[in-house]
Amino acid sequence: MLLRLLPWLAAAWLMAVGIYGMVTSRHYVHLIGCLSVVQSGTYVLLLAIGFVWHSGPPIFYDHPPGTPAVDPVMQALVLTDVVVGAAVSALLLALALQLHKRRNTLDPQELEPIP
Amino acid sequence: MMLAVAGCLLLVMISGALVAFTRRPARQVLMISVHGLFLSMLFLLLQAPDVAYSEIAVGTALVPVMFLTVLAAIRGGGRRNLPR
Amino acid sequence: MKYSLVLRYALCILALIVLAPAAVLVALHMPAFGEQLPAYGATVNAHVPYMRQATNVVTAIIFDVRGVDTLGEEFIFVAAITGLAVLLRGGRGEDASRKPIHTDGRWLPARSEAVALLIRWMLPATVAFSIYVMAHGQLTPGGGFQAGAMLASALLLLFLGDGYRSWRQVTPPTVMHVLEALGAVGCVGVGLLPLALGAGFLENVLPQGQPKSLTGGGLIPLFNVAVGMAITGGFANALVEFLEETREPEAEGEQ
Repeated sequence: MLLRLLPWLAAAWLMAVGIYGMVTSRHYVHLIGCLSVVQSGTYVLLLAIGFVWHSGPPIFYDHPPGTPAVDPVMQALVLTDVVVGAAVSALLLALALQLHKRRNTLDPQELEPIP
Repeated sequence: MMLAVAGCLLLVMISGALVAFTRRPARQVLMISVHGLFLSMLFLLLQAPDVAYSEIAVGTALVPVMFLTVLAAIRGGGRRNLPR
Repeated sequence: MKYSLVLRYALCILALIVLAPAAVLVALHMPAFGEQLPAYGATVNAHVPYMRQATNVVTAIIFDVRGVDTLGEEFIFVAAITGLAVLLRGGRGEDASRKPIHTDGRWLPARSEAVALLIRWMLPATVAFSIYVMAHGQLTPGGGFQAGAMLASALLLLFLGDGYRSWRQVTPPTVMHVLEALGAVGCVGVGLLPLALGAGFLENVLPQGQPKSLTGGGLIPLFNVAVGMAITGGFANALVEFLEETREPEAEGEQ
């Protein structure tokens, strides 16, 4: 059934669309936005691996430990990833800002690599 | 439940594609915010409330504001470079 | 060498078309979605709530079971914010100015009073909620990472509601640097504390306490607070640096 495949295809689609946006981008800030889409594809993949139908979150405040719950290790991986990914995006934005100050353009087509 | 998860996955795929296909950076910022909102809905449906917390705070509020300040700093200063 | 735009498009679409069957093949071989819980997760769910008296198993994993990974991620964060500050300050210098940068051709409306009032109501509620989330990290969904991001967005609300000048008064950059540095040092200190008591690095040796209490979990609340301080300071630093970029540079000879 399609639902068996949908999360894996969604993760692959997000990564593909993000990479397509990065390769054909005409503005570096747009490129950094597409990078965040690629990262969100990995989050979807990790959380879909740990998911189980008819289970609750791995928080045992209201019900005793032993009630069915989804995988907490995958959630731990994604949680730190989200916050640190935002910091790396901020660093890339600072790089783009400095690039604009030096070269007065943010178009990857216009900027040649230093020979 | 199955329908909700499938629907949310489709919404995330569509908003991700829209983020990549919106070329003007000022408009892409709002699409990033919407994409973050759909992602946190998906995380909530996948029974991950901690991750949904992080994604709402970061992907909807902090990252778009950083993008907007960089765009404002690029635009000011007298010299402008319009995107495609 | 410089690629023409048409060549870029053609290569990218060709690569994606070639890789698409591989993606479908991998999707067919992946385990069925939602059928089986991975073994590590099942073991952790069964044992960690009793071993650590923490009801939020995700926080117990982040700060206790896989604490060294969190230390590494924390220092990735600190390094990224440091790099950002070095890049932007190196180009700009160390002064702070007041006037917004001159943008030609755009009319700036004055800030509406409704926005200012609404933000003055929402800001204390957001700060209180984020401290609640940080303190109850090991009980209910929450923890240092989430609370740090929420507190940073509360500072952002202050900038939106009351303007740049009052924002600079409430968040002096020195305090933010100290906060972030204390957070990072606190993370390492929390790891070195068990070494002083004779156990391994980051091993949970403090008394565990009662379940469902704020002091449960031993080392987890301390690590939580350290990470929350570091994340808040880091994001506030990044916002200070970015917003400084939108200010007019001081003219020569002006004090």
